[in-house]
Amino acid sequence: MAKKRERLEVIKDILKSIQANRQIKPTRLLYASNLSPQMFKDYVNELVSKGFMKLEISEKDKKTFALTKKGYNFLEEYRVIENFVENFGL
Amino acid sequence: MESYTLLLQNKELFKIVYALIILFICAVIVFKTDKLFRLSFHKGIQYFRNAFFFFGTGFFLRYVFGSPFFYGTFFSTYYYLIGSVFKYFLLMGGFFLLYSLLWKKIESSETHYRSSILNAKILIFHIMAIVIVVLDYIWQTHSFMFFSQILTFAFASIISYSNLRKKSHKHKFPKFYFIAMLLGFFAWVLNAVAELYFNWSQGVLINVYILNLIFFLLFLYGVFRATNSNH
Repeated sequence: MAKKRERLEVIKDILKSIQANRQIKPTRLLYASNLSPQMFKDYVNELVSKGFMKLEISEKDKKTFALTKKGYNFLEEYRVIENFVENFGL
Repeated sequence: MESYTLLLQNKELFKIVYALIILFICAVIVFKTDKLFRLSFHKGIQYFRNAFFFFGTGFFLRYVFGSPFFYGTFFSTYYYLIGSVFKYFLLMGGFFLLYSLLWKKIESSETHYRSSILNAKILIFHIMAIVIVVLDYIWQTHSFMFFSQILTFAFASIISYSNLRKKSHKHKFPKFYFIAMLLGFFAWVLNAVAELYFNWSQGVLINVYILNLIFFLLFLYGVFRATNSNH
């Protein structure tokens, strides 16, 4: 059985999916994140509220997610955070 | 031997320098880990940061505000109060350090509390710390603090040893972390021995100070190593 992803890893996967596409539709991001719809909603709401990603709505009312500067910073520092957590067993 | 004599002759000055070094180390660790926490919202990092916030604040209060250079300036109650607050902060630092290793077994990473310093779970640590300080006051001893911290660090050493066995092939640092926890444990044992068997012998206490310094320096090394690793 595959090991359950850590919360930090899930966040990294969501933000990486956005980064890879620059902008991504909610449904595509849901598939890419490999989460249940409820879990996906919780993570996305949290990441938007904490300023890691933003929801953009076009004139044609199409919704897409994009990364914020904080989101890019997280991805840049992800190795450091992961290293820190593993080194100290946190 | 000469250096020991020099230390003993200028012990109050060295105590302040010692406290300022620990305060500086704690401030660097808090600053670095807070930056990581604000980016990751990882609870383990948050509790680890809190541990050094409490250690740093405790040392600052005890050795700077409670410095013997001010003796005669304030009432003796003031120094007793500073000593008790120092104990409380040290106890909380130890509990937070242990909790940073245990939190995954106790709470979910999805549970959010308004404050990581005072919430329903952490309240237990505050109550324990206050009870220990009060017991020490009633019996006019430091033994309750020493034994609670010996237990805390023994437990933390066992957990870090288990992490070392799991991860030593991947990272070298868990070995240092285990050593740091053991040093913390021995520093508390030596503190208890100094009180119970050596009547606070300055010679024994110098070894406690040295162990404490190495303990904090190892953590600083670990934080720098982890945060300055290549991206």
